[in-house]
Order: sequence, then structure tokens, then C-alpha cells
Amino acid sequence: MSVRLHPFRLLEPESLTDAVDALGQLDGEARLVAGGTALVAMIRLGLLKPDRLVSLHRVPALGQIGVEGRSLELGAMATHADIERSRVVRDGWPLLAEAARRVATPAIRTSGTIGGNLAYAEAASDPAPALLCLDAEVRVVGRGGERVIPIASFFRGFYEAALEPGEIVTALRVPPPPAGARSGYVKFTSRSAEDKPLVGVAALIALDSSGRCADIRLGLGGAAPTPIRADGAERTLRGETLTDAAAHAAADAAAREADPLSDLMGSASYRREMIRVWVRRLLVALRDGTR
Amino acid sequence: MTLTFTLNGQPCATEAPDHWTVLDLLRDGLGLMGTKYGCGEGVCGTCTVLADDRPIRACLVLAAHVRDRALVTVEGLEADGQLDPIQTAFAERGAAQCGFCTPGMMLAAKALLLESPTPTAHEVREALSGNLCRCTGYAKVIEAVLAVASSPR
Repeated sequence: MSVRLHPFRLLEPESLTDAVDALGQLDGEARLVAGGTALVAMIRLGLLKPDRLVSLHRVPALGQIGVEGRSLELGAMATHADIERSRVVRDGWPLLAEAARRVATPAIRTSGTIGGNLAYAEAASDPAPALLCLDAEVRVVGRGGERVIPIASFFRGFYEAALEPGEIVTALRVPPPPAGARSGYVKFTSRSAEDKPLVGVAALIALDSSGRCADIRLGLGGAAPTPIRADGAERTLRGETLTDAAAHAAADAAAREADPLSDLMGSASYRREMIRVWVRRLLVALRDGTR
Repeated sequence: MTLTFTLNGQPCATEAPDHWTVLDLLRDGLGLMGTKYGCGEGVCGTCTVLADDRPIRACLVLAAHVRDRALVTVEGLEADGQLDPIQTAFAERGAAQCGFCTPGMMLAAKALLLESPTPTAHEVREALSGNLCRCTGYAKVIEAVLAVASSPR
């Protein structure tokens, strides 16, 4: 038997200014809706009962993907399907394209947006670890005007983004990866392939001419209450040769600095072990060029 | 609210409450019962329909968000009394048991073949990864999609 959505009024502003105003009205609870893949499911489950939804679909140009200077400019309404198919993203930011391709299933990726994914601030996000590795910046707008939040400080807590009430994510700016960098995203699921990641590991490494890690970045999903950079693991590798032993040590460090939760997909201790396994495997595979 | 869009190749204008999803619009607004309500959370895939040739979850997408887009449901696969080759292949190969997941399976397959007319078995599996079957399994479904892909047109 079908379960109806709790009724709400839908507002469809045609500019960001109007969207900010619509969110700021004081008559009951308002929620922003982009693709709806998370929000509509939560309303269906009775977890949210907003009085109003403010849709971003009629605000022009929010889904554009382009390059400005050397950085990727990614509109918040770009869907995961747009990103995985974008020639610009695939050529210049392959780590992001790879992560987008691993989000849920094809029919979710056509609706779910990058802005919505980040604002939802789920620990088990696929794109977030990649964007953490790429040092993305999140552009937001609210009643106080526009501001830019480095992604490293965007995730504040369990399902909590660093957004003030009424603020809207409008775009991401993603600097180019270092020349010659190798990168990859592994998504480990404990149930079925299209599930959320039990753990997700994104890595970007640039080796100098003597094989040392000139640049090393590790992003983890499902490893803490929010997506995180594995700073401790990165420190063990910076300037070092990526031997098997070094990869082991970095994986151990990542497992130690992780602060995973237990849920239906797996326990905290299992997650910690899988972080150890997948950080090591990904580093070795990137070193050896086997992925 | 008033919505205009294209439904199975025909222009359509209708009224819908603000909180309706595409699935509510199809089943309750327009009486098209081919699209099924399964989990209501975007997981099972039986409500899959096409919007501008791409698969969407009718249970998650708000009706307002398909305004001015082209929707195709299972009722629209048949054209001029001729079944779509996907429907024929599913029937000939017994790629259904109870049939509840079948509309979503066929539309997910249709979306794949529109984008990639000669997919590999792996690509078929990926394209159908969001469509769950609880009775018969996936082998015959995948065979049916591959049969369409390899048949001369």
C-alpha cells in the first residue's frame, strides 16, 4: 500500500534572492529541495514534516558545469549523472567523475545533485571524500550575502553542514589536481554493490622523480560522523617513498584516526578494519598503476 | 498547481497537489497503473520511468519537477500496436515471474539502450542495479536485454 507524503506547499522561486526570501519566511518549517532523493524519502518515512518546500529547479543556471581560470565551477544543481558524463570533469577531475559514478543507482544519479549531497552532510557520501581530496570550496548564499566555505570545514557533525539557517549551496569551485597526480576512489559495500559505502576511500598522490610522495591526500567516507580527511595518515607518507610498509603504516594511521559509527551496514570495529584494508590497497594500486 | 508535460508522446496538462510525486501523478492523477509503488524510498526501482530518456524514481521526484519534460511509462513502450523489442524479449525469455518489478526493469533497460545500443553484460548489470526482483532473479532479465541489443533492427 502506498504511503502518501505529508502535505506541504511547494514554492518555486525563479531567482536565488527569491529562494533565500522564501526560506526565510516565518510561517512554519521550510526545507530546500533539489533532486529530492534524500528529502522526499525522509518525508515519506515521517522523519520530516515540513510545511513548505522551496524548490531550486526554476532558478536558472544552477546546474552548469564549466571551467573558470583553471578551476572547475560546478553548479549545485548538477546531478551525479551530469558529473559522471561531463567531458570536462572526466578529463580534468577524474577522481570526482569516478566518485559520482558510484553514487547509488542510475535512476538516483539522474535526480540527486552535488549540492544536495553535500548539504545533507551524510558520513557515507561518495563525492565528499573526493571533494575533500581536491580541496574544493563550497559557495553559499543567504540573507547575509555570499560566502565561501573550504570543504575541510564544511562538515560540522552528524548530518550537519556548516550552513546557517536559510543558506543555500550554490556552487563548488574545485582547483585542478597537481600535474601528474594519480587518484582513485574505492567504495566498499557490505551488502550489495549499489548500497551506501560501508567505507569509501578517495586518494590522490603525486610522486616526485625519486618516487617520494610530493603530495598525498586521503578522504574517507563512513569513517566518522562526517566525511573526513585522514590527516594523520597523510603525514606519515608526505615526503616518503610509498613502499608496502609505508602503505601499511598509513593505513594503520587512518584506522586509528577514524571515529566510525555502528549501523546496519556494519559495526564500528569492522569499519575500522575495512578502512585499514582499503586505504592500503588503494595506495598500493595507485603506486603500481593497477587501477 | 497546473502541470504541462509530454506523456508517452502526447501533450498532457493536468492539475496536481503540491506534495504529489510523479508516481502519485501517474497512478492517482492520470490512472496509469503500470508504474508500481514498491518501497517508496527510491531503493527497489519498480517505479522507474523515463524523463527525457533518462531513468528516474517516480516515488522520489516531485510532480512539479517533470514540468515541460517528456515522460515515458511502461504504457508508452508499445507503439502503434507493436510491442517494444524489450517487451518482446522479456516475454519470449520468461524474464518475469510475478511481474511487479517488470515495468521498472524494462524502463531501466530502455534508458540503457537509448544511451548505449550495444551494451556489455556488465553494463546491463550496472544499468539494472537499482531494480530489485524478489522472485525469479536476474539471469533471464539480463539475457533479454542483451538479446535486444544484439538483434538486427
